[in-house]
Amino acid sequence: MHKTLLGYVPDQSPIYAIHPFVKVYFLLIVSLFPLFITAPEWNFFIMLFTLALMWYSRVDVKILRIYAPMAISMGFIILLSYTVLGGVHPEYRLLTKPLGIPIYWERIRDATVVYFRILPMIATMVFFLSTSRERDVIVAMRSVKIPFVITYVFAMALRSAGMVLEDFGIVRQAEQARGFDPAGKSLAYKIRKYIMYMVPLFALSLRRTEEFTNALIARGYAFTGKASKVKRADYVLTHYTFRALDGVLVGIITITFIAILVLRYGFGYFGLDDSWFIIWAQSAL
Amino acid sequence: MENQLNQEELTAEQIWELQPGEKRSVGVIHIVLLALLIGIGFVVGAFGSISFPLGFGVNFFWTGIAVQQVGAIWFGAWGVLAASIFPFFSNAISGTPFYVSLAYIPANAVQAFLPAWAFRYYKADPRLKSTRDYLILLAAMIVSSAFGALYSPLVVLKGFGLLTAESVPLFIWGWFGGNVVAGIVFNFILLKALSGVVIRTPSFVKKWWA
Amino acid sequence: MSAVIEIKDYTWRYLYSPNPALENINLTVHQGEFIGIIGPNGSGKTTLAYSLNGLIPGQYHGIKQGGIKVLGKDVESYPTGALQKSVGVVFSDPEAQFTTMTVEDELVFGMENLGMSIPEIRERLEWVVELTDLSPLMLKPPYEISGGQKQRVALAAVLAMRPPIMVLDEPTSMLDPISRRRIFEVLAKLKREQRNTIIVIEHSLENLVPLADRMVLLHNSHLLLEGETRQFFEQMDLLLEKGLFPPGIMQFFHYLKQQGRYDGYLPVTVAEAAEKLTSLLEPAQEGKQ
Repeated sequence: MHKTLLGYVPDQSPIYAIHPFVKVYFLLIVSLFPLFITAPEWNFFIMLFTLALMWYSRVDVKILRIYAPMAISMGFIILLSYTVLGGVHPEYRLLTKPLGIPIYWERIRDATVVYFRILPMIATMVFFLSTSRERDVIVAMRSVKIPFVITYVFAMALRSAGMVLEDFGIVRQAEQARGFDPAGKSLAYKIRKYIMYMVPLFALSLRRTEEFTNALIARGYAFTGKASKVKRADYVLTHYTFRALDGVLVGIITITFIAILVLRYGFGYFGLDDSWFIIWAQSAL
Repeated sequence: MENQLNQEELTAEQIWELQPGEKRSVGVIHIVLLALLIGIGFVVGAFGSISFPLGFGVNFFWTGIAVQQVGAIWFGAWGVLAASIFPFFSNAISGTPFYVSLAYIPANAVQAFLPAWAFRYYKADPRLKSTRDYLILLAAMIVSSAFGALYSPLVVLKGFGLLTAESVPLFIWGWFGGNVVAGIVFNFILLKALSGVVIRTPSFVKKWWA
Repeated sequence: MSAVIEIKDYTWRYLYSPNPALENINLTVHQGEFIGIIGPNGSGKTTLAYSLNGLIPGQYHGIKQGGIKVLGKDVESYPTGALQKSVGVVFSDPEAQFTTMTVEDELVFGMENLGMSIPEIRERLEWVVELTDLSPLMLKPPYEISGGQKQRVALAAVLAMRPPIMVLDEPTSMLDPISRRRIFEVLAKLKREQRNTIIVIEHSLENLVPLADRMVLLHNSHLLLEGETRQFFEQMDLLLEKGLFPPGIMQFFHYLKQQGRYDGYLPVTVAEAAEKLTSLLEPAQEGKQ
């Protein structure tokens, strides 16, 4: 198993055949698709397609369990926003009025559109996080010649996040060893105690700044001056080859994006008027 | 390092002004600092985003504000940069779409910048030695969070069509309250507890970059 | 042998600190020497290590007097990043030194900073991986391996840059005895095969003493004692008084010396001690027969 940003992928996954740049490109471009698509069924299809890619990549789909509550709570908030907090609109078609709150068809429709926009965006993010390692992101960034300092800050930020989590665990264990048990305590109590974690966490991170800086300088890294201008060999890139398949995938993603834009703004596709789901829902409600 | 600090008292003016002959320049330590602030913000921000969610990265109690504001007071522009970048990661973990997080950048940058600017401009003491220091911090927190609270739900969430006009106030108050309450809880304590040490370290930023 | 490090009347005080961390230090290190530096906590050992590769005064605010020359040039006259080609430092906490996501990236990082080409990097990587026995770990995150492996990675990362001078600041303080021994085996190999100048700051003397050509004692910011290893430990009473505990075999022979039962040099290895002990016991055994 290979550890990724959000779990593990088996050694035999076909995802390893893909150049890391393609994965980043997929995240950046496919995340944009739903912004230009209004018809929920198309966004739902993008989400299914992304989940199918996860399955094909042999990602443990149990990972989705982390996001299911978030997706549900987001759906609930959107629905709440568009119904209970949706205001009074006599021009809309009233469906029902429970407890005096008017529920309009147009509001339900808009909530559905928004929710189905969000779902594929989350799916692409989860796909990326569950199939990519920190190293993949670095390779992708270096492949497109993003300056080393930016790549490095990114890599180090991920590393330091891991360290903060470790530190958090250590500090928590130390607190528990001194009798702190948050189970069954009030939220105010937990917040008050959470402060106890923050101060040592900050202090440890600040101390690490000095240690890391010394380590970097000892390894000859320079941010300014002549030494900062050396041509880096990017040895890590020797392990990755941008193959024809990668070119084809980038091409497909790009052409699909252009096609969506042309179909949306040139021919009026993906709108609400043509959406069979909306038409069906309207007649059903 | 052994015995690097002692109790020699610095005034608020001395904290922010260069001493005669003092040279400060941008170095590797600032790059490392930026990365570590993003890292700590990522974890602390994600905790808030997951524990107290209102939706789309808006929270009732957003702990990440402490990293944004305290980080920028201590480390100037590096703190502002980190504050703009880390919510991107913490929001991603909590399921906020990529482009929504991207659009939050101005709000996050201002939330960090304003307290940092106020402390430098009014020469407030980050160790919070006087009532004036507390008031400057509180005012900066309120104004900066108000900007974030107005910008994000109005411009971002409304712009992405995620909210109706009627539900915008809930998100404005959620964002504002979530930041100010968490800021009051953490900022004062962090500044009080650690500023005395931080201002004497090579990583402390007197002006904006060094 | 030519001098590679010359420390002359060197004093360093950290800004805001009332007392100097190092005071009036004079020391010359020659090419190919293996120097052991010992001293209690707070004696200035780490400050000395940092002063040798420019972290002081580069990264710390403070007041300096005297000077340090490395390879004939004042430390401060080296341009940014240049001194690190000559002086490599391994720190005590291996985890704090890791700057990348895999062991391989960690080993390569320093070489990339020096602007080396891919074939050069590949060649050195093969050499250093073999020397430090790291090949099974190359794709693992450096912070997920054992403590001993971590320190070998940290050492290898510096070795890969092939600095002629290496400074190791308590490289085994966080390791178990077996891992300690492995680190010193690598250092012994380096001393034998590469003729690097090696300076090791250590508390644990069992492994250090057999390798060191010379020893230095720092105490309360001062250089208290310096000399060829055997002569250095002749000052056993002073070392014990300063809270330093030489290897057991040395203390044992020192005790014999005090009892008037032995009058040679103190042995530095177990084999040497066994030999000396055998020769001490031989007359007694002959008498029994």
